[in-house]
Amino acid sequence: MKAKRFESFFTQLYCVQLASSSEFICKDFFLYIESNQFGLFATSTAQIHDTPAAEGAIQGVPYIEKITFHLLRLEDGGILDERVFRNDYVNLAHSMGVFLYDDLLAIVSLRYQTIHILQIRDSGRLVDVRAIGEFCREDDELFFNSNPQVPLNHVGNGLQQYQSILESSFLSGIKQRLLSFIFRGTWTEETDQTQRIQSLKKKFYFHFQDYVDLIIWKVQFLDRHHLLIKFGSVDGGMSRNADHHPAFFAVYNMETTEVIAFYQNSAEEIYFLFEQYCDHFHSTSKNSLSMNFISSHSNNIHALEQLRCNKNKASSFSQFVKKMLASLPFNCQSQSPSPYFDQSLFRFDEKLISAIDRHRQSTDHPIKFIARRQPCSLKFKIKPGPEAGSTDSRTKKISSFLFHPILPLALSVQQTLFLQSSVVNIHFRR
Amino acid sequence: MNSTGMSALGGGGGRSWSSTTSVSASGKRIQKEMTDLNMDPPSDCSAGPKGDNLYHWVATIIGPPGTPYQGGIFFLDITFPSDYPFKPPKVVFKTRIYHCNVDSTGNASLDILKDSWSPALTISKVLLAVRSIFTNPDPYNPVIPGIAHLYLADRAKHDELAAEWTLRFAS
Repeated sequence: MKAKRFESFFTQLYCVQLASSSEFICKDFFLYIESNQFGLFATSTAQIHDTPAAEGAIQGVPYIEKITFHLLRLEDGGILDERVFRNDYVNLAHSMGVFLYDDLLAIVSLRYQTIHILQIRDSGRLVDVRAIGEFCREDDELFFNSNPQVPLNHVGNGLQQYQSILESSFLSGIKQRLLSFIFRGTWTEETDQTQRIQSLKKKFYFHFQDYVDLIIWKVQFLDRHHLLIKFGSVDGGMSRNADHHPAFFAVYNMETTEVIAFYQNSAEEIYFLFEQYCDHFHSTSKNSLSMNFISSHSNNIHALEQLRCNKNKASSFSQFVKKMLASLPFNCQSQSPSPYFDQSLFRFDEKLISAIDRHRQSTDHPIKFIARRQPCSLKFKIKPGPEAGSTDSRTKKISSFLFHPILPLALSVQQTLFLQSSVVNIHFRR
Repeated sequence: MNSTGMSALGGGGGRSWSSTTSVSASGKRIQKEMTDLNMDPPSDCSAGPKGDNLYHWVATIIGPPGTPYQGGIFFLDITFPSDYPFKPPKVVFKTRIYHCNVDSTGNASLDILKDSWSPALTISKVLLAVRSIFTNPDPYNPVIPGIAHLYLADRAKHDELAAEWTLRFAS
């Protein structure tokens, strides 16, 4: 009976096997490549927390033996290309570790501290464009290896030379860029030499090791050339409660390989940029028209009012700044363009539901959507979970929602914490 | 630039084994050298302790104009031995550099950091000496003979490569 109901809404077009024997499909990873109607899926083996040490890998990050990204043509399910990461860690939950902009894909290898930039060609090929981390320019590694510094007594052994590179403690390319940016900033800030050296001592040298120890932990594109990179401590990156760990944002131009801005996550300057130009942080793609209609506090007066209200309610402004900036860099394609989330049309409780795809605490009460237009009547309600209500109201329940971008259709998925089967509801307008 | 609050990251921990209030002779000496350096730093050079460990410093040398290292920012680790100034400090490049007197792991090979060390020398003098190899490499005592050979045989090519390294790895 229930299966029939599902089939009255959805027709199976094809069935494709992605995962090999030891891998499983990552249920909360998917990116849609609008221009070519391709889809990017991910499969992986189980995550291992007891991490073996490896050359070039940082400690304290879990690892996955095999992660595979599969590029599919959505029209017929044809597998176009795949990319495998071995003994690595990419944060696949909510597609957090991967960002798509136009045809460019940024994949963050947490374990090897590398941002892999790939291009999705019209032909359906995934092509490596550059890897940012140890090196910055696409041909840096090639250049480095073709101009070897052959030390005394070490002539001509390529492997030996490679090992001496790994054993050395040079700053990675991206860290060199970051540190020289911070250094230059502090240097030019003060013109008096004595003041300058004092300021360098306090602001730069004292914290030098802390900056060196920062790791890249999330990335988004701002446009085709600029990445917004979040740096943090290893502990801050993996723990859920990252509030206590300092985090930093860097804007990096991958063409010129320059860091052009650097802020701590409590910096009011970047908060004010975020408040005024929120939509610039959401630029997923130039040809994604529907995404222009997502309400934000930069384009919607009601969202702005809500933001101001939250700002006034906050006990301390710096805590509020940190909390707001915690959403940066954004998850790719994490916002639904559905008109039901247009805040000029409807009012709803953002704690229970919003355009942002995330798991939320669920109550037994239906979620109300109320018209903005007078007389502000209740337009519809959405209730995740079993129709008859749950038998045990004490159990903590988590819901997530998936709204169709244009059609009046939504899915809700409700789960309890104790691995009972989830309840999927289809909501539609009669 | 906003780096307030960073002390939460680095405060205490493993780097505080020698505090700035240490009364050891080497500590006092390093402290004095820091004061002197801050009063009158060599041009394009600066340095300071990492965290609160007086024996572990970082120095920065801005690539001198008119050399192939121009435009580069070079970071160096400076480690003082516990019997400083009777033993020389160890100077290691943290930034890759194409130079016949810096080995492939970044160790700066200077006379005054080895046999010619004298307790009369100071960190300012060391920084000056390191800076001087940017302008005047010593190809007759190289640690990377290939680079020294190119420096002597084809200076233009050497400078071109050094400048390319600076652009790629030190900017």
